[in-house]
Amino acid sequence: MKAEPAVGLKALHDKRGWLALAVATLVLCVVIPVLSLAVPVSSPLHLPDYLIALFGKFLCYGIVALAIDLIWGFTGILSLGHGVFFALGGYAMGMYLMLSIGAQGVYKSALPDFMVFLDWKELPWFWRGFDYLGVALTAALVVPGLLAFAFGYFAFRSRIRGVYFSIITQALTYALMLLFFRNETGFGGNNGLTDFKSLYGYDLHQPSTKVALYLFSALGLLLTYLLCRYIVTSKAGRVLRAIRDAESRAMFVGFNPTNYKLFAWTLSAVLCGLAGALYVPQVGIINPSEMQPANSIEMGIWVAVGGRATLFGAVLGAFLVNGMRSFFTAAMPNAWLYVLGLLFIAVTLFFPDGVAGALGRLKRKS
Amino acid sequence: MSESSAVSSSVPAEPRASSEAPPSPEVRAEPKAKSNEKSGKRWSVRPRLVDPERRAAVVGTRQAVLVVDNVSVSFDGFKAITDLTLILDKGELRCLIGPNGAGKTTLMDIITGKTKPDSGTVFMPHDARDLTQLTEYEIAALGICRKFQRPTVFAGHTVYENMELALTGPKGVWNSLFFRLSAEQKQKIEQILEQIGLHEHAAVRAGQLAHGQKQWLEIGMLLAQDPRVLLVDEPIAGMTHQETERTAELLKSLAGERTVVVVEHDMEFVRSIAQRVTVLHEGKVLAEGDIDSVQNNPRVVEVYLGEPRT
Repeated sequence: MKAEPAVGLKALHDKRGWLALAVATLVLCVVIPVLSLAVPVSSPLHLPDYLIALFGKFLCYGIVALAIDLIWGFTGILSLGHGVFFALGGYAMGMYLMLSIGAQGVYKSALPDFMVFLDWKELPWFWRGFDYLGVALTAALVVPGLLAFAFGYFAFRSRIRGVYFSIITQALTYALMLLFFRNETGFGGNNGLTDFKSLYGYDLHQPSTKVALYLFSALGLLLTYLLCRYIVTSKAGRVLRAIRDAESRAMFVGFNPTNYKLFAWTLSAVLCGLAGALYVPQVGIINPSEMQPANSIEMGIWVAVGGRATLFGAVLGAFLVNGMRSFFTAAMPNAWLYVLGLLFIAVTLFFPDGVAGALGRLKRKS
Repeated sequence: MSESSAVSSSVPAEPRASSEAPPSPEVRAEPKAKSNEKSGKRWSVRPRLVDPERRAAVVGTRQAVLVVDNVSVSFDGFKAITDLTLILDKGELRCLIGPNGAGKTTLMDIITGKTKPDSGTVFMPHDARDLTQLTEYEIAALGICRKFQRPTVFAGHTVYENMELALTGPKGVWNSLFFRLSAEQKQKIEQILEQIGLHEHAAVRAGQLAHGQKQWLEIGMLLAQDPRVLLVDEPIAGMTHQETERTAELLKSLAGERTVVVVEHDMEFVRSIAQRVTVLHEGKVLAEGDIDSVQNNPRVVEVYLGEPRT
């Protein structure tokens, strides 16, 4: 009897899936860097630096989209506050970059400029240790994870679901934004952390450093994708979907939904922290506006546009929406928000399963 | 009759009882508080174990698997169940019938821990624990599984995946992340799928199954949990004639290894499967025996089959 293949996806991918993944990796990790570094500037094929930085940003957004797909697409919990985890990861990295400026700042002090400006005499305790990259990277993952765990523990244990949960996540990101806006909080207030010079001794303005950061982002995206793919094809992934579709039934066959939700939610936050840490050195600034509620909502739109519960759709959505954003904010800056709104309406009305779903239907028809 | 209005007053309590959420503290505390106020100090501290002499006295020489001993429960003064005693033997197929409000669903709720009785005990003779003192999870772990009236399966998962999720075993996150079906477990799933007649639909999404097939799948999921006692609430509601026949076959084949209790309104169906029938009326056992003796019992005819049958 042939029952066995019915259990989900036995492997991470079938042959064609692996092939597509390999091609994508080749383009992202080999073709683009070569076009940027090895092709002479005079050639029309040369990729300018700003595009590398832009693509690097998109890759970080791709990681965020995967993280949101894990918790929204597969577990059915819509977070409208993932920007806060992204920003916390970014701040952790920003603190390291801030301290590595050293005495090259405007005030020629070992303290970051904003602290000199505020007339602080020494580093606050929570900045200690951030002159080590390892500490900063660990904090970029652990701090968002801890915040998510504590928040999720109380929310899921109290059985807060659906739109109520989404609203609380909005409040969470808004509250932290207000907190980070204050100068007294110790993260540069309104201006945030900026004017970075170097990362681990490498000049951030060098094209080769930019390509290296881009490559780390690509690697991060690839590993995140494989991790998420492993989870959703495991039995744990099937339990997550079971909780999404029929939570009470899942309890009745013996699963504790709180633990599963907490797992997906915390992991999702950690991945966002990773994305934030990769993002900040490439854009050169982190400030509280990253925690604006609207930012988090836009992250949700990436996943909705790309297609929920498909993983690759989420990444596609992040690339697509941000590509459009880059185009429109340059070509007709005032139109972007209208375009975003129209896009969201169009997707909800005509492609409820997103671009990935539409592609899947096309494939089945042909 | 005053009872008939009281019957409807018990209805609002039922949706709460049959929603599948585990008992919240309020729900559990409520009947207890009531029992305290009703019968004074006697039940204020209830023993967690059932007295062995009492167990022996009730069970006698029978091969009992589950015993409901002298249970009473009332909702807002309405006695849903009064001094009810029910002994289920190993491997039997028992039908529970009775008019609306007779206490069938309430009895199921008491056995599965959704409702706590005011007095009386429920126990399995091999185990000293009083089931009325346990949570739903603990009772399910003892092998008492219940199928609800409305079929609930994981619609987005395949039939096979539904079975995989229902299978007994550790259910933690870490375990699920690295879980692989063993050969033994695969064999078990296939055997159950064969039994419920869905082996050809293993790769089909549960949401695409016909109504009857969903009911069978849910029964299969219960079987995957290794039950000793299966409580099946109205299994043929909404089924076609053929589906009903297959369900009858299925239930009959399940009894033997396990004890199966079926609550059903459809007398035709009961006649086709029942070995023993228990008739409930106004929260009491009105009659018990094989289908013919029950049907010929004048009291049963009066209250339940009262209208002249054609």
